[in-house]
Order: sequence, then structure tokens, then C-alpha cells
Amino acid sequence: MSLLTIKGVTKGFGAVQVLNGVDLAIGAGSVVGLVGDNGAGKSTLMKTVTGIYGVDAGEISLNEVRINDAAPGARREMGIEMIYQDLALAKQQDVAANIFLGREPVKRAFGFLPGYVDRARMDREALKMIDRLGARIPSIHRPVGMFSGGQQQTIAIARALTFNPKLVIMDEPTAALAVREVESVLKLIRQMRDEGIAVILISHRLNDVFEVTDRIVVLRQGRIDADLVTKDTQMHEVVSYIVGAH
Amino acid sequence: MIKLKTILLATTLLAVGAVTHAQDKAVYGVLMKTLSNPFWGAMEQGVAAGAEAAGVEYYLQAAESDQAAEPQLNLCNTMLERKPAVMITAAINSNILLPCLKAANDAGIPVVDLDGNLDPAINEQAGVKIAFQIGSDNEAAGAQGADFVVSRLGADAKGAVLVIEGLSGNITGQKRARGFAEQLAKTAPGLEIVASLPGDWDRGKAANITNDILTKHPDLLAIFAANDGMALGAVETVFAADKGAQVVIVGVDGNSDAVKSIKEGRLTASVAQLPYLVGKQAVENIKLVTEGKEVPAVVYVPTLVLTKDVIDAGTEPMLEFVK
Amino acid sequence: MQTNSQLARISAWRRTQDFFDSRLHVRLESLIVLAVLFIAMALASPYFLSVSNILNILLATSTIGILAVGTTLILTSGGLDLSIGSVLGLSGVAGAYLCVTLDLPWIMAIVGALGAGAAVGYANGLMITRLRIPAFIVTLGMLGIARGLALIIAPNGGAIYGLPAPVVFLGQGRPLGIPMPVIILALTAVAAHYILAYSKVGRHTFAIGDNESAARATGIPVQRLRQILYTLSGLSAGLAGLVFMARVNAGDPTAGYTYELTAITAAIIGGTSLFGGKGSILGAIIGAMIMGVLQNGLNLLAVQSYYQQIAIGAVLILAVYIDQLQTSKEKKA
Repeated sequence: MSLLTIKGVTKGFGAVQVLNGVDLAIGAGSVVGLVGDNGAGKSTLMKTVTGIYGVDAGEISLNEVRINDAAPGARREMGIEMIYQDLALAKQQDVAANIFLGREPVKRAFGFLPGYVDRARMDREALKMIDRLGARIPSIHRPVGMFSGGQQQTIAIARALTFNPKLVIMDEPTAALAVREVESVLKLIRQMRDEGIAVILISHRLNDVFEVTDRIVVLRQGRIDADLVTKDTQMHEVVSYIVGAH
Repeated sequence: MIKLKTILLATTLLAVGAVTHAQDKAVYGVLMKTLSNPFWGAMEQGVAAGAEAAGVEYYLQAAESDQAAEPQLNLCNTMLERKPAVMITAAINSNILLPCLKAANDAGIPVVDLDGNLDPAINEQAGVKIAFQIGSDNEAAGAQGADFVVSRLGADAKGAVLVIEGLSGNITGQKRARGFAEQLAKTAPGLEIVASLPGDWDRGKAANITNDILTKHPDLLAIFAANDGMALGAVETVFAADKGAQVVIVGVDGNSDAVKSIKEGRLTASVAQLPYLVGKQAVENIKLVTEGKEVPAVVYVPTLVLTKDVIDAGTEPMLEFVK
Repeated sequence: MQTNSQLARISAWRRTQDFFDSRLHVRLESLIVLAVLFIAMALASPYFLSVSNILNILLATSTIGILAVGTTLILTSGGLDLSIGSVLGLSGVAGAYLCVTLDLPWIMAIVGALGAGAAVGYANGLMITRLRIPAFIVTLGMLGIARGLALIIAPNGGAIYGLPAPVVFLGQGRPLGIPMPVIILALTAVAAHYILAYSKVGRHTFAIGDNESAARATGIPVQRLRQILYTLSGLSAGLAGLVFMARVNAGDPTAGYTYELTAITAAIIGGTSLFGGKGSILGAIIGAMIMGVLQNGLNLLAVQSYYQQIAIGAVLILAVYIDQLQTSKEKKA
């Protein structure tokens, strides 16, 4: 039984048809690389999984339950998390605020007054998660826009991991990172797999994909052209599928 | 040593002098609508002359525009903080200053309604007492405007007339428009007021209104505007449409811009208020009130119809008061 | 990245700023400017430092202050509401029309004013969230529509005068010597400050102003929240209209003219960003008070209104510039 099942999904924007019938199954604790050329539809496909886009046709299910109609917030509660290419951080808010964005813990004084956000708890748990990820962040009270790209990404990852996700989608996580930071991201992905979290890795950097994934799925012109087992394939084969020369 | 003593003595004398000097002269608070119209500038000159003659001092302030109602109320409250002997106010509309004037009443400070901007009925409802109201008789001024138009066009004239009113809800504008309309209907029934629209005391708005009405009635015979600013806006439009000779344009106020325009033969006439006299007599009359003398509840200052002939002749005695 | 020794060097000034910012949600600079102005005016004019004058300042600030509360909520969410000045006028007229012209019970003045404000706010929200018309355009259009409606309802565009005593009390009463409008402003500010700074809804308001797509991605109901915020903005304009109407005992259709700009000025001087994601209710009140102290002090010194306008414009530009300087300095650190 697979964790996430995508069946026959199509999606168009106006006259442009981006997804043309995608079928894909992701198992728990597996790391799947999603590769393809620019405009192949990778980000769009993942946004239909997180609920930002609705689908024109087809079905998306989590643990055999259809989730087409669930809103992004609900899907996060079901355990689907995504780290977006632009990180989707609120740059003027601090670390804790970003990690708990949309899911702020609320405390009620005296039981009847309107609840207030439990900043102390947010700060505590944010610090815990940042430490667990082994990152060094000068102060959790600065606005995140002040931090470096690598630090910001750590915060985005922390947000995705804080609520015990089942599936984490990462869109180009290593594209803007230094070598040492790339290593820590790859290490993190392996850790997630060991903890039973499924990972979908969208990346242009095929070296990274070959390093951490179990499967490589090639998306071309809105359709899955190839579904390969990583250890049974090689870079040039994947590239040929990407450019359509296979 | 000597120097120090001299300094101390001099300072004490000065201080005593200042205190007694301050106690000698009463200070009047004067609140205008705005200073951006030469009409109010002339009134301030009159206030200055009146204050000098009456031996009083004054401080004068105004809001930033004649639509800044709440700021004028705040100004009034602040001016009251300085405990003037008298408050002379030209309210932007008939209700905005009432809370402040009530406070003035409670503090025993007499209030003068400068230029008749308050409504006696509303004053009574609010329990606000005014020492007196002074200004031009705005209805009579409107009627004088009508008389002039009729004198130019003839009592049997037939045609279209445009009235440009003041700021919506302002009693001065309402009185002038009403005075004009009633007198016109009485003396020249053939002249029809085809439109009576608020120009909000604004030159630009008046120009637009004139444009629209001229388009609708190209044979417009006369325009009456409730103040000179609006009349001058109408003048520009009429002359731009090349109808300067056809349309009689009358404003109210007689301010320096209007006088210039009349001399140049553009604006036909203006029912000159004599704001200088209004300011001067306001101060003179309130001084009488503070001395316990009787002053009528409504003090009217006459108006004068200014035309090119009158100005050129220069013999009219009241011209002295047109600034 | 900073080491621990670098952290220790984060200056005492910065730490004080952070304290005011994260605990009280107020910009330290605004408080300092207000204090300095206050002292300067007290020194410049002997009439400034009296109880009645201070109350005068608060009273004069109350209308703009209430408007600035709604404005802060909207600006923080990345929105804009240009209609609030006209809504203030419309609300006053609506309330006065109901209980004076139609002679309904006095409570209808309150219901009418607040209802008119909330209704316009709701309509703004609908057009912005459902029809996807930009907020600038919608509220600019509503500025004209609301003003026109106010002038139509009021006879001949004049004020509707003479409200029942309980309503007048809201504007002119002085329980314990404090003017009612000031009390209403204080209550409104406290409630709104709590919501924005401490509640979940407040957090979300910051989020949608900071990065709307991120907010949507994390599950925040962006459109629903926007709808609520615009309704609240209209409601605050309705409350301001009610207070103003009570203060002058008349429903004046010309009331509130250009107030939207003054409210935005107050909010920005107080530290709210025009572009969203940053805002403080207490800051907006301080901003309004800075303008109020400036105007009152200059009035007492008999400085003409035109110079006051220049002063306020300068303060606005200065406030934003100082804020910008600081942000760019931090970016370089």
C-alpha cells in the first residue's frame, strides 16, 4: 500500500496544459527524485499534492483516502509538507513565528478570555528543532529576512518537520547552497527516510539525486516518461529521458 | 556688584511693567475660516485697525482650508486655553464650533459670530449664546446682485441665468443664493434660473459648472456666483468660450482679485462686502459689550456693488473700505 | 553567522528596542519622539502643560486615533483602505438620519453609524476578495460613493442637527473628567492591540501582509481573513463617525474629508509599514498623538496652520527614513 497515490491528474492554466495525466505512487519511507526539464510541470504537480492548486481531473489519495477537496491547511494536518523553492517564509517575522506559521499554539487565560498565542512554547520548540537540525542561528528573535540563504532554508525545513509529517516534498533544496550545506541537506534526507518519512526531491542536480534517492521519476511535458530504480540506472539514461531522446 | 543690582532692578521693573502691561490690554481671540482668501485678509486688517483703536491685543488663527471643520474645532479649543477676553469666530459651518463656544459661554467669555456663519435656531437648540452676529446682510447682497443683473438686461428680459452656490450646507451661501433668486423672480420674471449648483467656494468647480451649463444653454445671459472666487472661475470659462460680451457675471465679496478683473473688463460686477469694515466693527462692538453697553443682536455692515464705472470714477465714499 | 561573543556585543540600545518591540509591540523610536516633542512644547508654551490642555490633545486626536486603529490592521495585512474618511461622514449621517429625521430610538444612532461602517467595509472586502479588484481601486471608488451617499441622505448636503442626549454623551460626556471619545479610543486601541499583537488572527494578519502566498501555502484562510479585516476597517470608520457626530451633535456629510490620509500618516509614523507585514496599534496611537501634540503646541504658539502641515509632512518622511536606515544597517551586519 502506498502512502501517496496520484492517478490520472491533469491541470491546465487557461490555454496552457501543464499536466497531461500523471500517475505516480510513493511509498512510506522512500526517497523519490522527481526530475525533468524546465516547464515539465514538477512544481505544478507538487502544488496539486499540497493543495495550492486544484486538479482538473484525476485523483490524489493519501493512505487510500481521496484528498482532492482538502485545503492546504488540512493537508498539512494530514502530514503532507512542502519546502518551496522560494522557501515561502514571512521575511519580517522571526524564526518561531515562521516555524509555526498557520499553526500557532494558543493558550487561554482563565478559560474564557480570547486565546493568545503561546510565544514561550513556540520559542522553546523552535529552538529545539533548530538545534536538532544542527544549525547555528544567532537569535530566534530576528526577522528571518536577515539570515543567509542556508539559514533561511534550515528554518523552512524546520517548519516542515516540526509537526511529524508523513511526506515531505523538497523543491530544489540545494540549488543555492554551499557545498557543506548541501551535504547536511542530503544527510537530513537520509535521516528522514530512516524515520519512515517519505521524501520527494525535485532537483536539477542529478548528482544529489543519485546520492540519496531510491527511485527517479522523469516528468516530461506533463507526463511521467520514466520511473527508474536509482541503483539500476545511470546519469546518461536519466538525461536522455529528460530531453526526450530515449 | 553694582552691575548685578542694576540688572536685578531693571529686570524687576521690566517684569512689573510686563505684568501691568499685560493687565492693561485685554487679549481677544480671533478665529477665521482660512487665510487663503483675500477676503479674510482684508477682514484681518480691519480687526487690526479695530484692535488698535480699541486699545486691545489679539491673536488670530485660521484652519488650513475652509473645509477643515474638525481642525477648526480643535483650534478653537486650543485658543480657549489661553483664556482670551473675547472669542471672535468665523465658523466653517453652523455646528462644528458649538461645543467650543458652549465652553466659552461657561467660562464667561463673550462670543462674536463673525460674518454670520452660525444659525440662530441651531444655537438656541444647543444652548449657545452669542453676544452678537456681524456681517453683511447676505440676502440683501444677493438681492443687490439681482438688481444689477436686471439693470443691465432690462426688466422684460427673457433668458437663462446660472446661479453658483457656495459650500453645501453653508448658511452664507444659502442666503446669497436665496436673496438673488427671490429678487430676480420679483423684478424680472422672464429671466429663468436654469441651474443652481454648489461650487463649494471653489474656483475650479465653478469653472466646470459654468462649462457644463454653457454647453446646455449656449445663450446664457447671466451668472450669479455666491463669492468672487467662483465668479472668477466662471469668468475664465465664459471668456474661453468667447462669450464675454454676452454673459453678465456677478460675484460677491469685492476682493482684490475681483476688483482687478472688473477693471480689466472681465468680471462684470461684484457685490462688495466690506470685510475690512466687518472686522473693524466686530472689534469695536465687542469692546462695547465688554464695557457693559448694549449692542444689537445682528449688526449689518452695508455692501456696495462694484462695477468698472464705480471703480474708475473713484468717487464712491465707501470705496475707502474696499481693500 | 555570529559567535557567542558577537551576540554579547548586541548593544544595550538594541536590546531595549527588542524589548519594546517583542514584549510591548511598540517602536521605541516613536515613544522617544513623542516624549521629546511633549517636553519641547511644554517648555515653549506656558499653556501646554495643563490638565485641560492635555485632555484637549487627547480629544482632538480621538477621531484620527480610532481611524488609525482600523488603518493599522489593514496596512499590516498588506491592504489599503482609502474609503474610511468618506465612511466616517456617511456613518455620522446615517446615525443622525435614523434617530433625528426618522425619529427612531436613540440606540438607532449607534446601530446606524456602526452598521453603515461595517456594511461598507464588508462590501469593500467582497469586491477585493471575490471580484479580485485591487484594494486601491475598490476603496478609492468607495471613497466617492460613500461621500456621495452621505450628501444625498443629508438634506441639501447640510448637517442633520440635534441628537438625543444619550448619543451626545458619547461625544461630549466627561465621566470622571475624561472625555468620552478618549475613553472609546482607549478601549478600541486596547482591544485591537490585543488582537493584532497576541492573538492567532493577529499573527495571520502579519503573515498575509508579509508573504501572502506563503500564508496560503501554510493553510491560513487568506481571503476570509481579508474579508474580516476590511469589515473591521469599515467598522472603525463607523465608530469614528459615531464619535465625531456625537462630539458636534450633528450628522455632517462633509465630515472626515481627507482623513484617510491622516490616519495612514499616523499609522506609518507609529511604525506600520505601507507594504504590509509590520504594524503596531499602540504605535499608531503614538503616531496620532505625535501629530496631535505638534498641532496643539503650534496652535498655542499661534503658528499658522500651513506651517503645521509642513511640520507633519516632514515628520512622516523622517520617521520612515530613520526606520529604513536601521533596517539597512541590520542587513549589512
